[in-house]
Amino acid sequence: MSDFAGMEDLLQDFLQEAHDLLSDVDNKLVDLERMPEDKRLLNDIFRGFHTVKGGAGFLNAAELVTLCHLTENLFDRLRNGEMHLTPELMDIIMAATKGVRDMFGELGQGVQPRPAPEDVLGGLRRALEDDAAPAAAPPPVAAAESVAAAAAQEGPDWQALHGAVTGTMTAQPAASTEVIAKVDTAPQSASPPPYGRRGTDKPGAPEKAGAGRRVEERAATRENTIRVDTSRLDQVLNLSGEIGLMKNRLTSLRADILAGKTDSETLHALDQAVSQLDLLVSDLQNSVMKTRMQPIGRLFQKYPRIARDLARQLGKDVELVLSGEETEVDKTMIEDLADPLIHLIRNAVDHGVEDSEERLAAGKPSKSVVRLEARQEGDHIMLIIADDGRGMSAERIRAKAIEKGLISEEEANTLDERQSLHLIFLPGFSTKTQVSDVSGRGVGMDVVKTNIQKLNGNIDIRSEPGKGSVFIISLPLTLAILPVLLVLLGDQPFALPLSLVREILPIEHEKLQEVGGKATLVVRGEILPVVSLAKLLGWPQDQPPEYGVLMQTSERSFILAVDNFAGRDDAVIKSLEDFRPKGVAGVTTLSNGQIVLILDMKELLSDLGQQAGMDGRGSSMRALEFS
Amino acid sequence: MPDPKMKFLVVDDFSTMRRIVRNLLKELGFVNVDEAEDGAIALQKLQAGDFDFVVSDWNMPNMDGLTLLQTIRATPNLKHLPVLMITAEAKKENIIAAAQAGASGYIVKPFTSATLSEKLQKIFEKMDKGA
Repeated sequence: MSDFAGMEDLLQDFLQEAHDLLSDVDNKLVDLERMPEDKRLLNDIFRGFHTVKGGAGFLNAAELVTLCHLTENLFDRLRNGEMHLTPELMDIIMAATKGVRDMFGELGQGVQPRPAPEDVLGGLRRALEDDAAPAAAPPPVAAAESVAAAAAQEGPDWQALHGAVTGTMTAQPAASTEVIAKVDTAPQSASPPPYGRRGTDKPGAPEKAGAGRRVEERAATRENTIRVDTSRLDQVLNLSGEIGLMKNRLTSLRADILAGKTDSETLHALDQAVSQLDLLVSDLQNSVMKTRMQPIGRLFQKYPRIARDLARQLGKDVELVLSGEETEVDKTMIEDLADPLIHLIRNAVDHGVEDSEERLAAGKPSKSVVRLEARQEGDHIMLIIADDGRGMSAERIRAKAIEKGLISEEEANTLDERQSLHLIFLPGFSTKTQVSDVSGRGVGMDVVKTNIQKLNGNIDIRSEPGKGSVFIISLPLTLAILPVLLVLLGDQPFALPLSLVREILPIEHEKLQEVGGKATLVVRGEILPVVSLAKLLGWPQDQPPEYGVLMQTSERSFILAVDNFAGRDDAVIKSLEDFRPKGVAGVTTLSNGQIVLILDMKELLSDLGQQAGMDGRGSSMRALEFS
Repeated sequence: MPDPKMKFLVVDDFSTMRRIVRNLLKELGFVNVDEAEDGAIALQKLQAGDFDFVVSDWNMPNMDGLTLLQTIRATPNLKHLPVLMITAEAKKENIIAAAQAGASGYIVKPFTSATLSEKLQKIFEKMDKGA
């Protein structure tokens, strides 16, 4: 077994690129099922396997070469019209693709792949043999003749050419597979050590032991690499250079000022330098943030295959349509989104859409469409998973939740349509009595919601019975920098995520109205509840709050009553590692060095939600008493 | 010995492969190397820059290596360029097609720096003879 000493970089590059290639192949295979004769698709898939084979050869991954080679041959026949795609063949191809992916996994752990499963290899070989007979045989005689003809011609150095391949080339018109077999085995036996092995790398026991450790290390760190467009890195470099220059300018100004030179010209220069530094730093922050941004298409590309496999398993006809793949999302977020999205897609295919008969009976086209869309809206990323299936009935969901003992009948009666749909996010809720082995994998929608909330995101549902359901996930652009509004309770500042703030208004106490025992304020005809921040935090309310911050979450709008506000700031969030009080998302440092808590409005409001929403009409929610 | 400043264009859609070829060329002392992702981009670069040598993959999107080779040979200011074809394709038909299109050499992947050196030497010798 070979380690990859001296080839780690090459291996990493290969894996990253080959993974992308294979995902692309996967998607094209899904398309191919619909258009089995599409030459362009066949050619692209052929090229995918071909390219992987070429790279695998340099890594000495003989088994990967063999598997890709057989699959490639199959596609060569297919694209030349010498064979035709059958469902059985498709299954073999899918199994082969999976085999290639498994081998990538082994390579990723630094071990040479084991041979592909015998049924896969056997299947490929049989498929090739079955069809090899008349059509596929190359015209050997003609080829030999043209060799001679070419050699006779003035022009290319034909001898060097044919020598480049194998000695057997012109000797006999062997079947093409034999020639290839010779070429493929050559590197392992006869040739000098291939590229990447340095001359100094001597195989030996200590070396092997070291390699083992390296393998483990690498397995752990593999996901920590990122591919960044060089132009973006150049921008970062450029900006940090300029900041360096600005620092020099400030150092010299400091020397001047410390020496007592405080004339207006110097101070003006200082003012200018600081504002320029301000601009440069925010540019740098943006640029650095952008290096972490990756097109979400990388995540999306594996889903059509998952949807296809699942649909096939369930005997449904489902097409997953992707859009907005170029939308860029923070890399860590992409990783954390993988599971929730898979869950939602599985859900859509399994529970969301009906089988063909049911659809036809309902007057819908037999093929169902699940849409996965990403787009940027302002400083938010929206992810939408929509199906055109049977939709969800608020009535049934309520009944289910009562049956499962998640809510009481009384509570259920107070819920509107949307709140009812949100019941599916409660732990322990599943609309299917029988959990299928497909969607039900021990994680429920509550885990999806928790995962999205961990990313400071929101998930919302819309559903129309008979027409389908839509899940809408909204996420911040990045987790690193959060624009905040600083509000004051007494002298103590708190930071609120600016994305939730709609406007700031003075609270005129004579305009406060009590509706159903709750303090409300009418803003341009909209009746909004007024919530005191002091009350949410459990602080004493010394004086009536003077300002209201109109905030909007996906669930509700409300006015947060505060004493005053201190402006906005771009907070760099420091998370509180082991200690996380409820309602606090993290801390940040203000320009004057003061430490400020960043409030997690959703968590603070979840208390409110339980009181206001679930407990019934204001029974436990008392009006805010300001005086 | 050929000029180490010789300018190479490596054409391959697989960036790992371009890097492999680039490193092999570096081992042989050729550091003036540019890359192109497919035949179409390669042609643009060739028209714009003073390249001395083309190393091209066969299977690529947009324009494959064979078409690139044929186009080079049909373009008056490029037709003198040596073109080394590198591919995982070891079928006779392909090699013959490459030869007929005027390839200067043909290497089957995977190969070593020794193989590349040998092929390059052969092409250089022939160029010298031609000159």
